[in-house]
Amino acid sequence: MFTTGAKLLLGATVASLAGTVAYGVLAEGTMGTIGLVSATVALATLAGIVIFTRDANVFADEPDTFDGAAANAARPGASMWPFALGLAVTTMTLGLVTYPAIFILGAILFVAGIAEWILQAWSERASADASHNAEVRSRLAYTAEMPVAAAIGLGIVIYSFSRVMLGVPSKTSTIVAFSIVATIVLIVGAIVGANRSITAPKITALFAVAGVALIGGGAVSGLNGERHMHEYETTAYFAEKDECGAEKTYADKHASQTVAGKAGSVEVILNPDGRLVHRKPGDEVDRVGAMQLPRSNPNNLLFRNETNEDRRLVIDLAPDYEGSPPRICSMLVEPGGVQWLTVNFAVPSFAPEITEIGGYRFQVPGVDSADLEVVVP
Amino acid sequence: MNGHTNHDRTIWVGSHDAHTLDAVSAVNPRRRRRIPGIAAAVGAAIALSACATDAPQDTWQPAGENAQKIHDLQWPVFLTAGIVGVLVFGLLAVTVLRFRDKGQSMPEQTHGKPVIEYLFIAIPAVILAAIAIPTVGVVMALADTDDTECVINVTGQQWWWEYDYEVEDDGTICGFAPTAAEAAPIVTSGQLVIPADTKVLLRGTSRDVIHSYWIPRLNGKRDMVPGRVHYLRLSSETPGIYAGQCTEFCGLSHANMRMETIVLEPDHFQQWLDNELEPYTSPEEGTLAAAGESTFITQCSRCHQVNGLVDDRGTDDPDDDTLVVSYPDQFVYSGAAPNLTNLMGRNTFAGATFDLLTDECRADVWEADPEVFGERYLAGVTEDCLNEIELREWLRNSPAKKPMYADAEMLTETDGKTRGMPYLALSEDQIDELIAYLLERK
Repeated sequence: MFTTGAKLLLGATVASLAGTVAYGVLAEGTMGTIGLVSATVALATLAGIVIFTRDANVFADEPDTFDGAAANAARPGASMWPFALGLAVTTMTLGLVTYPAIFILGAILFVAGIAEWILQAWSERASADASHNAEVRSRLAYTAEMPVAAAIGLGIVIYSFSRVMLGVPSKTSTIVAFSIVATIVLIVGAIVGANRSITAPKITALFAVAGVALIGGGAVSGLNGERHMHEYETTAYFAEKDECGAEKTYADKHASQTVAGKAGSVEVILNPDGRLVHRKPGDEVDRVGAMQLPRSNPNNLLFRNETNEDRRLVIDLAPDYEGSPPRICSMLVEPGGVQWLTVNFAVPSFAPEITEIGGYRFQVPGVDSADLEVVVP
Repeated sequence: MNGHTNHDRTIWVGSHDAHTLDAVSAVNPRRRRRIPGIAAAVGAAIALSACATDAPQDTWQPAGENAQKIHDLQWPVFLTAGIVGVLVFGLLAVTVLRFRDKGQSMPEQTHGKPVIEYLFIAIPAVILAAIAIPTVGVVMALADTDDTECVINVTGQQWWWEYDYEVEDDGTICGFAPTAAEAAPIVTSGQLVIPADTKVLLRGTSRDVIHSYWIPRLNGKRDMVPGRVHYLRLSSETPGIYAGQCTEFCGLSHANMRMETIVLEPDHFQQWLDNELEPYTSPEEGTLAAAGESTFITQCSRCHQVNGLVDDRGTDDPDDDTLVVSYPDQFVYSGAAPNLTNLMGRNTFAGATFDLLTDECRADVWEADPEVFGERYLAGVTEDCLNEIELREWLRNSPAKKPMYADAEMLTETDGKTRGMPYLALSEDQIDELIAYLLERK
């Protein structure tokens, strides 16, 4: 019943217990006693395990035990998941000292690796038939693997495509290049469709070539970087730099051409006579009197320049109030052009700091007659 | 279960299933007899709900020109939809009952019936076209605002509506010239006051999230979107109060974002206008209201504006008086708080959620005949009629009264600004003073 190992450990446990009692009584040392008690408990635990497992001995006269012994179990199949988990832990560690995104990538790999390894280990115990086990695994795993693989594949294609589009030197050449690509795709598709004798390997090869070309093109374009795109200054930038005079500044001319800009906006119009009028949704009448706008609200205004010279719209806000810049203006708008200006009135017109500057007034530098009072109740 | 398939029919055999089916059919007749009764009870409950008289937001009781147009359209549309619904469900019921499986042989199976298919395409197309023509006409008519007589700006925010009346180029407001004072923008909240028989253009936007303005008895609904200006026509010939509520989910107290439109006869509207433009008068010195004014300046004026209020505390020199200007954008996420200049001229407060009038006094106004409505409304809130209980509860702890995101410490995404009125920890004495002061604001 007792194996050699069990006898050894039991003896050691008894010796340790005796030593503990002797030390505790004679030496009266607390720390030493604790250490010896710990050793006794550890040895007793090990002895118990060895007794329970019979020292992992398999006796020749116990065939059932032999058949069920761990040593007789089938070897697990080859698996890449331990390697993947190692890579995941390394990536996570790297992410901890570099970028959160790398850590997140490692964490995803870790969770996926654990899940796949567990699944593989489980399926290998399903039966003695390896092919059946593989089928069991696939049936369960494909429900997650296929959508994820499809999403990753689609993401790679879209990302590569976008890199190529952004890498082409100009918008015009982008249109030309992709018109040609689309035409080629159409022609090849038509040929493939018309050719009933085409084989699956040929189609696979075709897709493989197209995929490699796309991913390769994306990689090259990505490494080369995006084409130069001009970053337009905003009205907030002009306000910050105090560039609201007659000097030339540039902003995105298309910013006001959005759906939001074309409907539901208040218009401030510099008419050919050099006067500012306003037009609000609902009545579509040009009004010359004071314009009333709500307070503490981003009022989107469209400035329309109907004169023959480049002009900008300027308004002075509260000079001493922390909630708003002292002055805000639109970009310089070409004759006939339209541009956004978003104004947020932090304080009402009757606030002392506003009455001191003569109230809120839209003005146009260089056009003295352009003056429009804004009432903020 | 055991069974075999004969073409598309499955014939079930076997004692177990037969017993089960017998057991079910043994119970079913009794249950079946109950079904018509239950259906009739549910149908009657739904039908009777249409007879509700206390339904201030009933689209079937139009009181305005545009609401009437919608009403005139929805009748034939609902009628058509009802007839189609009854026909479809009736035919479905007949088919289910008459041709249910009774063990008969399978009828002859054919594919396609061109005449039926053409009819089933043509009939819905004709019905949809017949509905579309007047619908498009009404949609265009509702958008027509060329003959506007009065412009009022509406701004939505969590969870109340602000109204500001535009001063026209000729110095009038809604075509009415102030009798004594000079015309100036009027800012109010909760209750929109408009003159009867006047085509009012609401020009609306929002300070925070999308809201939707809807007074069902006067017009359809219109979304109010930050950064955009949408407009809506309101008009009514009949003086009275017309209730509505926000119809675009806008956060925690969306259900408490209500509004009322008050329609007044022209002479009553003139009185209301003159009253709104009257200069500010301070409470008599030494009174509870005077103490309330001081409390208001220290506790409330950071966010709430009272036009003309000056801070003359600590000085006898009129030149040192400081005009009190609120700065709600520093404390409230939406950047605004209701203007309380003439609070007691309104019937409701806190986004028209609570009544400023007691139940009895409220009924006197809300249920008044059109001929006397204006006088009763303009009387405002008197000391006897003040719903002091709810106003006091509100001042004591407003977030407990109306759900709001009022704990600034929990609102990191709003930079510590509250959504709605915060808890101010006012003492009972301060509340007494404030009520006395606010009672004079009309």
